[in-house]
Order: sequence, then C-alpha cells, then structure tokens
Amino acid sequence: MNKLISLTKRNIKVYFSDKKMFFTSLITPIILLVLYVTFLSGVFKDSFINAFPEGFKYTDKLLNSLVGGQLISSLLAVSCITVAFTSNLLMVQDKAEKTIKDINITPISKFTIGLSYFVSTFISTFIVNFTVTIVCFIYAHFFGTYMNINDMLNIVLDLLLLTLFGTSLSSVINFNLSTQGQVSAVGTIISAGYGFICGAYMPISSFGKGLQKVISFLPGTYGTSLLRNHALSSSFREMRNQHLPEELIDGFKKAFDCKIKLLNNYVSINSMYLIVTGFTLLFIVIFIFMNKHKKRS
Amino acid sequence: MNNIIKIDKVSKSYGSLKAVNNLSFLVKEGEFFSFLGINGAGKSTTINMICGELSKDFGSIEVCGEEVDGNNTSLKEKIGVVFQDSLLDKSLSVYDNLKIKASLYNITGKDFLDRYEELSKLFNLKEIEKQPISKLSGGQRRRVDIARAIIHNPSILILDEPTTGLDPGTRKSIWKVLNNLRKEKNLTIFLTTHYMEEAADSDYIVILDKGTTIAEGTPLELKNKYASDTVYIYNVDEENIKKLDKSYKKVRDGFKIIVKDLKEATDLIIKNKDLFKDYEVIKGKMDDVFLNATGYELEDE
Repeated sequence: MNKLISLTKRNIKVYFSDKKMFFTSLITPIILLVLYVTFLSGVFKDSFINAFPEGFKYTDKLLNSLVGGQLISSLLAVSCITVAFTSNLLMVQDKAEKTIKDINITPISKFTIGLSYFVSTFISTFIVNFTVTIVCFIYAHFFGTYMNINDMLNIVLDLLLLTLFGTSLSSVINFNLSTQGQVSAVGTIISAGYGFICGAYMPISSFGKGLQKVISFLPGTYGTSLLRNHALSSSFREMRNQHLPEELIDGFKKAFDCKIKLLNNYVSINSMYLIVTGFTLLFIVIFIFMNKHKKRS
Repeated sequence: MNNIIKIDKVSKSYGSLKAVNNLSFLVKEGEFFSFLGINGAGKSTTINMICGELSKDFGSIEVCGEEVDGNNTSLKEKIGVVFQDSLLDKSLSVYDNLKIKASLYNITGKDFLDRYEELSKLFNLKEIEKQPISKLSGGQRRRVDIARAIIHNPSILILDEPTTGLDPGTRKSIWKVLNNLRKEKNLTIFLTTHYMEEAADSDYIVILDKGTTIAEGTPLELKNKYASDTVYIYNVDEENIKKLDKSYKKVRDGFKIIVKDLKEATDLIIKNKDLFKDYEVIKGKMDDVFLNATGYELEDE
C-alpha cells in the first residue's frame, strides 16, 4: 500500500511539474473558453432569445444563467476526458523515455504500477477539473445564475463520475501505447475530437440524424448530458417560476442535449448514471485484466 | 568467494535475431566484473534478463542463489542498476528523485533521512538537492543516478556504460566512490563500458560478440593472450636497432619494438644488455585485447 501511495504521489508530482504535459491537458478547455467568450455565447444567446415566446420579457440573469450553464457543462464534459487522457499519458511517456525500466527493477508488482497510474490520473484530473469547476461557479455567480447548493453538489458528483470514466477509458486506450509519436497522436485526436463528439462546441441535437444515432451509443454522451441537466436545471426551474410553458422548457432540454434518445426512447437521468457507471466499471475490469495478463517480453 | 550471478546456457531471440546465444559466465561476490562487447553484442539484453525485465528463452539465470523469473521481489532488493540513459524524473528535484526511489524499497521517514544524509555526503548532493534534474550537468546527473541505484544498499550494482560522455575528472571521482563502496560494503560491480581503461581494473572480464562469450579471464590473462607487449628503447642509433632483427617503429627520441610477451622482451633485453640502457616495457592494453578478441575497433560514444 505504501508503495502504491509513493508511486501515485510521484506520478502526480511529475504531472504537475511537467509544464508541457500540464498545459497540453488544458488546451481544449482553454480553446472552449475562448470560443465561448468570442463567439459561442453570442450564438447561444441569440438562439435562446429566438426560442422565447413572443412578448416574453426575459431578464439578463435568466439569459446569462442559460448561457453560463451551457458553458459550464461543456467545459467540464470536455476537460474531464481530455485532462484524464493527457495526465494518463505519463504512463506512455514513462515507457517512451524508458523511466518505467527504473520502476520495474524495484520490488513493486506490475499491477501496483498500473494501479498507481490509474489512481494518479484520477486525482490529477479531479484536482484540475475541480479547480475549473470553482472558477465556473465564481463566473456563474458574477454573471447570473439560479444555481443552489444541490445543483452544485450534483455537478461535483457528475465531475467525480466523469473523471472516473475518463480515467478508466484513457487507461484502457493508453495501455498499449509506448512511443512519443503515439502520445502526440492520441493527445491531438482526443483534444481536437472529443469537444465535437460530446457536443461541447455544438449541441448534439444540431447534428444530422445518423451522427446523432452513432453518438447516442457512446457512453460519454450521457456524461455530458448529466452535466447539462444539472448545470441548466436551475434555469429551467426559474423558467417554470416565470410561468413559461412546459413544452417550451422541454424544447430547450431537447435542443441542449438534456434529453437524449437511445433507440427511440428518451434516457432518464438514472439510466444515464447507470450507463456511465456501467461503462466505467467495464473499462476498469478491462484495465485490471490487461495489467494482470501483461507478459514480460 | 561465492558466485553471486550464475548465467548458464542462456539464449534470447527477438524473432530471427539471436541477441544472446548459449551464454554462460559466473560473477563472484564482491568482484569487479566487466562485461564488454560492441553495441548490439547482447550486453543490455543480458542485463535486462538479470534484472528480470526480460524473460529468457532457454537456460538459467541465478542471482544470489535464486532463479530470476521477474516476480521475485526479494531479488530486486539485492540489485541496483544505473542504466545507460539517465532515467531520473527530470522535472523533479534531486531530493524528490531519491525519496521516491527509496520509498519503493520501503525506506521512509528517519531511515530515508539517514540514508540520504549518507549518500549526500558520498556524492556531494547537498548543493544540488533542490534543483530539478533537468538543470543538472551530465556529471551531476550521473552522481544522482548512482546514488539512487544504491539507495537500498544492494549487493550487486549493475552499471551500464555509466561514464559515457563524462569528462575524465568526473569519471575519476565517480570511480573513486565506487571503489570505496566495493571495499567497504563488499559491493559486487557488474560493468559494461566502452572505456577499456575502466575495464582494466576489473577482477574478471567477459567479452561478448553476437550474444556469445568470445573471451574471458582476468585482465592479465586476457592481455597475455590477446595483446602484445611493447618495448620502448631510447637514445640509440637506428643501425643498432636494425641488428636486433625485430620489426620496429620510429617514435620520438627512440624506437618501439613489438614483442609477443614479457618473456620475449626479457630475452631480448638480456641478449642486448649493452644496447638497452634507457628503455621501458609496456604491457598490452585492454584496447588491444578488445580489438584482437573481437576484430572490432571500439567507438567512443
């Protein structure tokens, strides 16, 4: 146990002290933030305004809480996965730079080494994402939000679940990588691609039907949707308080991926938890299996 | 002395390439053992098999009386390795690198502080302990590498080209520390190197080519077998040298005569006492041993 803790601490220290690795993991959230500030928030604001019924007097606070909720959920949905992938690339970097040889010659089992990468990725990713979440809450507080402590706790719970999901997924994918080229390729693909497929840049509902169907089979989609639901629920509550019709609120939910169809049925929040948790457990089992059955060359 | 490493008919292939081929040798406890060969001779593969990093295809590898299978953690506590490339965490400090490595051997708290203090004095680490590895010079890194490799007081220290690229001063200071450790702690040193003068101080040498032993013995045995001795004679006329009927070469202030061994040199000197007033006999060098045994020139990397 002490060795696991030591190696985990080492991995976390290396991740946070390796400026290149640390900043690479923040590229996607930063790009997203810049996109929102310069462009996306305006687009979302316009679409929210157009969706309100004629004559409805919306407040800036309601509008900002909707845009803020969209930003927070997008940012966290992306960074939970991309930060997990980049911090887990330490496992590959250690192989590429042969540092793993120096660890392997110590009296520590291969399984403990694998577990240390998993635990450290989870902790590093959670630290980064929790910091991002706090910044998001401060942003929401100043720009307008109706979020209460329950909404915030739900977001933190989603964050934990999605961080665990990102950690387990990246552990399985990164396990067999061993070169710097592969590190760069995976880092680039994940950073560039995940924002699109999780609906961070554009809601999934705006994609073509075929693509929507494919995305509905990806477990990460439900992680994003959980965050959307919890980041926007206070705004929907406020809309109800302002007596906006339920159909309109429902339309908002569909348009902003709070409601997602899987095989023509809307997936409930509990089912979303089940899907993400189930796949997380599956990836963890696969990762354990890979570690247990890794042969010496 | 007991055998601390026993390699018996070990083979290892990568596809069709035989990296190690029916290799056998012994290393005795407390010995300074050199394992020589050109790049690709199979040295690193053998080291990786001794450490349990690589599995062997055939044969047996025993370290401290135990068969190596990659899982015996007790064996790993007996071996320390300084790899060819420094494998320190470059973004972490010297102190952190040593602390982390020590903790993987369950050396923590006061035990670590005591051991750190000891190594810090031995390798002059105090002044650089807070610096990240990336900011250190090659020599400083090597000092940390070696300190880290022996943090758990191993019985065997494997050094894979430890002084490559270091200046002579640093090499000398590193060897001074290592020789002291050998004497004081009966540490067995297993060395691979490209510097033949380092290997010349060994107790025993094995020269490897294409995964197989091609020569082995003490430095003296190897020099006698593979290297010629040289007699330098000064302040004589070339006419007199010609009369000796030996092949010779003109050098500054004198001549260089190659002889088979010390016996031939002695006979030559006794027969020509009047001529040999100012002379020296130089034993063959390890460079010559390596060249004659393998047929390859050594590259300084």
